[in-house]
This record gives sequence, structure tokens and C-alpha cells, in this order.
Amino acid sequence: MDYVSPIDERVRQPEPLAPRTGGIEGKTVALLDISKNRGAEFLDCLELHLRSHGAKTLRFSKSSFSRPASADLIEEIALRGDLAVEALAD
Amino acid sequence: MGVGSVELSLAGIDGGVYRLGELLDERERVLLLFAHSECPTSRLALERLGPLGPALRTGGVRLVCVVQEPLETAARLARQHRVEALVVAERPPYEAARRFDVVSVPTLVLLARDGSVSGSVVGWSVDALNELLPIRVPDEEPRWKPGCEARPAHDAHRPGPTADSFDELEDMFERGWSDGLPVVPPSADRVAAMLANRDPDRSLGAVPPALGEATLARVAACAVLAGCKPAYFPVVLAAVEAMLDPAFNLHGQAVTTSPPGQIVIVNGPVRRALGLNSGMGALGPGCRPNLTIGRAVRLVVQLTGGAVAGGLDRATLGHHGKITFCLAENEEASPWQPLSVERGFPAGASTVTLVAGDAPLSVSDHRSKTPRELAATIGWAAAATWSPFWWPLDATSLFILGGEHVQLFAEAGWSKADVRNAIYEQIRRPARELRHGETTPLVQTADPETLITKWDDPERIAIVVAGGEAGRFSAVCGPSLGMGANTITREVQWTT
Repeated sequence: MDYVSPIDERVRQPEPLAPRTGGIEGKTVALLDISKNRGAEFLDCLELHLRSHGAKTLRFSKSSFSRPASADLIEEIALRGDLAVEALAD
Repeated sequence: MGVGSVELSLAGIDGGVYRLGELLDERERVLLLFAHSECPTSRLALERLGPLGPALRTGGVRLVCVVQEPLETAARLARQHRVEALVVAERPPYEAARRFDVVSVPTLVLLARDGSVSGSVVGWSVDALNELLPIRVPDEEPRWKPGCEARPAHDAHRPGPTADSFDELEDMFERGWSDGLPVVPPSADRVAAMLANRDPDRSLGAVPPALGEATLARVAACAVLAGCKPAYFPVVLAAVEAMLDPAFNLHGQAVTTSPPGQIVIVNGPVRRALGLNSGMGALGPGCRPNLTIGRAVRLVVQLTGGAVAGGLDRATLGHHGKITFCLAENEEASPWQPLSVERGFPAGASTVTLVAGDAPLSVSDHRSKTPRELAATIGWAAAATWSPFWWPLDATSLFILGGEHVQLFAEAGWSKADVRNAIYEQIRRPARELRHGETTPLVQTADPETLITKWDDPERIAIVVAGGEAGRFSAVCGPSLGMGANTITREVQWTT
């Protein structure tokens, strides 16, 4: 039987992982708060640990946790950070 | 033909397991009576011969009733017909019946001591049985009665579970083209009928979260799967267009752990033209356009958008409205402007409005005498939606008002805005009572005696009219909080 698929059957290639940095000392870690409850607290603690291990940190936040990050925000994180950590939820 | 060398085991209603070969011995012959419960002649044979078991045995014949039924049914038949003989149950593939070429029931087969067939009677015949058996059967009417098709013959007409068999409905499940319920396979012909003259490659946009392209062909496939008639397709299209408006934030709704789904509200003449139910049982079962339009929209989210429950759809619980949730406003029972006009469309336009919302919570109030009392009852029912201490809500709650409730408001001369404001103003609690568990920053920082409203703005309270004229019931659908989901309305492009 010849069916019409309700699914977009195009196969997407997975994005390759960014090159690993091999450590955090001297690296810039982008910390992204998705704007969900207590995500900032988690990042505050993490930021202290990262700094104590010689990393520099930058803070970013999404305008809404329920929407994807904007392309501009993603680009800025990619440009300015060597690594990124996203604090997800509650 | 006979018992042969192959061992056939049959379960007896007495708990024993009997091999056909073992029933024969040096002393007696065996009379097999094949029967099943749906055959009146079988029942006649059991009724006339069953009680004669001991007499037959005295004559050197052991009666064995082979009933083509589950054991429980065989036991019931034996009890009903006072059978005093061994009764065994035979299940598919009915090997014993096939062994003796039984194509109709009752069939009586007399086996000699060596297992060979020494005679048989098909159907009920007093004369033939008297000739075959050592005793006389009751000489009562009917003396002759033809039998019925035996089970193996029945089953031969049905496609069996062979390796080559193909079940289209099961195939849909295997492909994952389902919401868990059986679907209508989207054959090319059915999808073409759904599309009519529309361009199958035209896209309505990418459907979150997996961003599958909502070509009209795929949306039509979802409509077919859901069980829509082609006439419903314009409503499905308008709903999908509304749902894909970025301001609706389908992405957030599709992947959230919270339960809400997408509620489809239909206004205008298209309701009547398609037979949408806006009256009695408006949120319930029974009406194809309501159920299948809502289902088609949800299938677009699940299949084209990839929001499969437990996959990208991360809802902790979800609710049944995520299978289908489409209602039509009962404009005829409403004293107010329909939702479509309230949302800026001209009177007489057919529209679809998408609201992000939770499952409906019913509200009974058969006692309130004033509109203010009634508004309070309905509003307080909504006080626990989302979370009992999360005040105020900054998202839309949908109130679906039933006919008698609306009548009370109308008789008092209340507008929809009056109802909205009365709900908003009455549902408030001091901050100190709301400082439990999950609550808002406002509640945490406010003076303890400050009254906090359940909604941050009366405009968060959406009102539609639906349901039958009798019964003082309304319902409220809690919000899809945190999504920033605007309510979106689109006009249905259709012709009568």
C-alpha cells in the first residue's frame, strides 16, 4: 500500500561536537541561565568552583525558559566562550 | 479415518486431560459428539443425548462430548443440558474435529474399539441415531434438524494469523503513526481526497519541537489518520496555522513537563455546516468532527512535530485532552458576542482559536441566585488550577460556561466583561495564606495581609459558552503556565 507519511522523513545529520578544550584553567566558561526558578543559584555555586580552578566565567540568560535560545545569543556564547554550561530547571 | 497414531489431548471440564486414543479400550466403543454453543441443533443433541450417558455406557458405548468452546463455556453447556458424560473442550485449530472431517455440528462419530469409525450422524436425526446406537433416543419433535457450521469451517473463512498476513492497522502502530489509538491508514487516495485541489507541497511552517515541515500533504495525512472527513480539512488547516504562530509558543508546550495541551475552539457557520457539537456533551464523546479535528491537530504535533509522549514530549502526566480537544462555541445559547467577534473577526466569520490549556475541571452550582455568587463559585473552582498557592497566574484560563449558568448571567444583564471582572475581583486571598510550597515572588514579598488575585489581569480570563441547556455546570481549563503562549485566532477558509 502506498501511504503518505505524516512525518518529515528527512534525515538530519547530527552536529559534530565542538573540539574539547582539555581543561578549564585559563578558559572562558559561558554560563547560561534559562530563566527558570533557582537556575541562577546553581550557576552561582558552579561559578565559584570554576573560578577556583582558574577558569574565567561569563553569564548569559535566555528571555524565556520555554523558548529556544535566539540565534544571536547562541552565536555570542560561541564567540566569547571556550566552554558552555546550561542550567536547566527548578 | 480414525483416531490414528497422533495423540490428541483435550481438557475435560472435570479437570482431567484426555488423549483421544486412551478413551478407547477393549470393553467399549466411543461416541464422539461434536457441538458448540451457538448452534441450536448442538444444544438439542446435548439435551437429548447428554442425560443418556450412563444408559449408553451400559450398552457398551462411552459418550464423549467434544465442545468447541473455552472450558468455562463447555462446562456451562454441560450443566445447562444435564450432560452425564465426559465433556472436553476443544480450542483452535480444532484438531479433533479436523481429524474426523467435522464440517457441521452436531456430528456424532462412533468409534470402534480399534479406533476406526464405524458410523456417523450429521445433524440431529432420531432415526439415524437409533440405527447407530445400542439404545433408543427420545422419540420427540423435532425428530430431524439440520446442524450448523462447525468452528473450523467458520475460521477457514477468516484471515488467520499467518506469517504472510498483513494487518494495515497494526502496520500503522508499527510505523509509529498513531497516538495510541487505531488510526485510518493515510493511503494516497485518502490523502488526495483530503487535499482536494490544494498544493500538497505548500508548507504551513516547521512544527516544533523537531521542526518537521508541515506540508499540506503531511497535515492531510494527519487528518486522515485522525478520521477526519475532507470537509473538516479547512478547520484543521486554520488550527495548524494558528498553532504554528510563534506567539503561541508551541515549542514550549510540546516539550514541557507540565500537562497542558492545545485547545481548539471553533466559531461561526462552519460549526453547523460540519455538524460540530456545541450543545449537550460538548466536551464529551460522540461527535466525529469535534473529536477528529482535535485529534488531527494533535497528530500534527506528535508526528510531524515529533512531540511523542515520553520522547520529546516530556509531560510528567499529560492528560486526555492531548489526544483531542476541540470544542465549538454554542453561539446560539450565548447572549454575548462569540469569541471570534471578541477577537476582532466580523460576525458570521468562521474561525478557529487556539488556547494553550489544561484538562477541564467541572464546576457544579445549582444554588447560586445572583450572578456575583455564581461568578465566585466558578472562579473559586479555578483557584487551585496550576497550583493552589501560585497566585497570580500570568497565563490564560479558559472558562467554558454551560447554558443555565449563562442564562443566570444574561437575566441579570451581565456582559461577558462583567463576568470576567467579577471572577477576577472576588478570587483573592491574603498573601500569608498563600505562603505554602510552590508560590510566586509576589506572594513571598508582599505584606502578609495584602490581597493577591488569582490572575494578574482580568484579560487572562477567557470565556466561551458551550453545553446543553439543562444542568448548571461549567468548566475551567487551567493555564499552560510559563509558556508565554498567546491565544491565536485564524479564519477558516472554506466554502459551503
